[in-house]
Amino acid sequence: MRDWFTLNAQVLYWLLVAPFRGVPVRLGPVFEQMVRIGVQAVPMTALTSLSIGITLAMQGAHELTRMGAASFVPDLVAMTILRELGPLLVGVVVIGRSGSAVTAELGTMKVSEEIEALEVMAIDPMRYLVLPRFVAMLVMLPALTVFGNYIGMAGGWAICHFSLDMETASYIRRLVESSHPMDLYSGMVKSVVFAWLIITISCVYGLGVKGGAEGVGRATTNSVVVSILTMLIADACLTAIFFFGES
Amino acid sequence: MSEPVIEVRDLVRKFGDRTVLNGISFTVEKGDTMIIMGGSGCGKSTLLRHIIGSMMPTSGSIKIFGQETTGMTPQELQKLRLRFGMNFQFGALLQSLTVGENVALPLIENSDVDPEIVDLVVKMKLELVGLTGFEHLKPAEISGGMRKRVGLARAVALDPELLFSDEPTSGLDPIMTAVIDQLTLDLTRKLDMTAVVVSHDMTSAFRIGTKMIMLGAGKKQGRIIAMGTPDEIRNSDNPEVQQFINGRPDGPIPLKLAKEDYIDSLIGHPRMNER
Ligand SMILES: Nc1ncnc2c1ncn2[C@@H]1O[C@H](COP(=O)(O)OP(=O)(O)OP(=O)(O)O)[C@@H](O)[C@H]1O
Ligand SMILES: [Mg+2]
Repeated sequence: MRDWFTLNAQVLYWLLVAPFRGVPVRLGPVFEQMVRIGVQAVPMTALTSLSIGITLAMQGAHELTRMGAASFVPDLVAMTILRELGPLLVGVVVIGRSGSAVTAELGTMKVSEEIEALEVMAIDPMRYLVLPRFVAMLVMLPALTVFGNYIGMAGGWAICHFSLDMETASYIRRLVESSHPMDLYSGMVKSVVFAWLIITISCVYGLGVKGGAEGVGRATTNSVVVSILTMLIADACLTAIFFFGES
Repeated sequence: MSEPVIEVRDLVRKFGDRTVLNGISFTVEKGDTMIIMGGSGCGKSTLLRHIIGSMMPTSGSIKIFGQETTGMTPQELQKLRLRFGMNFQFGALLQSLTVGENVALPLIENSDVDPEIVDLVVKMKLELVGLTGFEHLKPAEISGGMRKRVGLARAVALDPELLFSDEPTSGLDPIMTAVIDQLTLDLTRKLDMTAVVVSHDMTSAFRIGTKMIMLGAGKKQGRIIAMGTPDEIRNSDNPEVQQFINGRPDGPIPLKLAKEDYIDSLIGHPRMNER
């Protein structure tokens, strides 16, 4: 826990303070990490979001048709994906793909003395290793979430169009009319918070590895478990703040 | 006389209840090549780790360039580290970078030189350790001895005033050992670099050393049992030193358990039976 606060403080120093003292954030490694964390996760995000969009629409179609409210299926899909499942599922995808990879990579570097070597070369591992991953995650997870939202709604469209005979135009119109900007914004805020939690937790576990390959394995498992749990708790808290505060 | 480059006083380090370093004191003057000898597991690498500040002692004092490193802030330590290079026992190269990028790393991160100059320096340093043409390979694609030489090239990339080298020649063939020794000699004698070298290889130790210390094992774990110039060490009348530099299996250094202890450890420690 203390390591986690230290890591946050140091990363924020390198991100927000150091650039004004003539030590800019290097963009090369940031882009490299953005490709690994973001671009390479596109296919998996697309598949996950598509299937969840389809599933939601099918569930909705089944129940709502019985009540004679089939035209509300798009509302259901949009609201659920934008507010909740979009950020959450993309978060899970990224934890599985990149959070675990970051922990394993940093952990392996720790046990093979690479981190120590960096420190002895007067290179701060926070700046050299953690900062690019941090920035990349904070940019790419929200971007993936937006992308996943679109794909999920396309999945909903497939069901509405082919099984409920809804016109494409009216599906889109329904989406636009029923969803509020707040739905999107709350989802985006969530995904930024998730990104921050995932990457800091993954890095802390990676840098904290002790004892050989076994330690790396254990740290990776712990990092994934803790990331998912923390993300779910944060999700509940944020939902309470956004949608439960006023009413 | 100017002040020593390294001054270690009463260095003690315990891991749990095992005392690995037990009251080590020595000084290294500018231009010296200090050789640290001792049996495997006697704490040589641990001693280096304390001097470079990546481990903190249980007690004692370490001064580098006259500055006390124990209790230094990370920032101060970082500044100091720009002035020395470290060659790790197992290379400690970054696996994700190529050989060339590894050597370039200290230059890119800690100086403002142009990419072309970095390229040039990398080529020169790799040439020094006989690895021209390997800059595009990954550390996993080269041999252990080559990795070590890359580590040395990286350690001297910034032309440090002080070089630490942990067994730079173990695992190398005799010719390559001579090349690395010659390199160390050139750096220390011609460029006035100070070096601290851990070595098991007596030929190379006597070739490059100007001062030597030997760490003890067994009951003398963590203590310096001999210190002096190569000649003093060679002519030392300490039987442990003689056993070590002549590589004799029998002698005062207890490498194996005594017969009774051996039988005890085979049939189980007496205390274990009580449980
Ligand atoms: N992080 C650590 N935790 C616990 N014990 C350690 C640690 N690092 C080293 N030791 C112990 O310190 C002792 C000395 O280890 P060290 O690596 O310094 O030996 P060495 O003299 O370099 O040996 P070699 O010649 O084989 O490299 C060993 O007995 C080892 O078990
Ligand atoms: Mg060693």
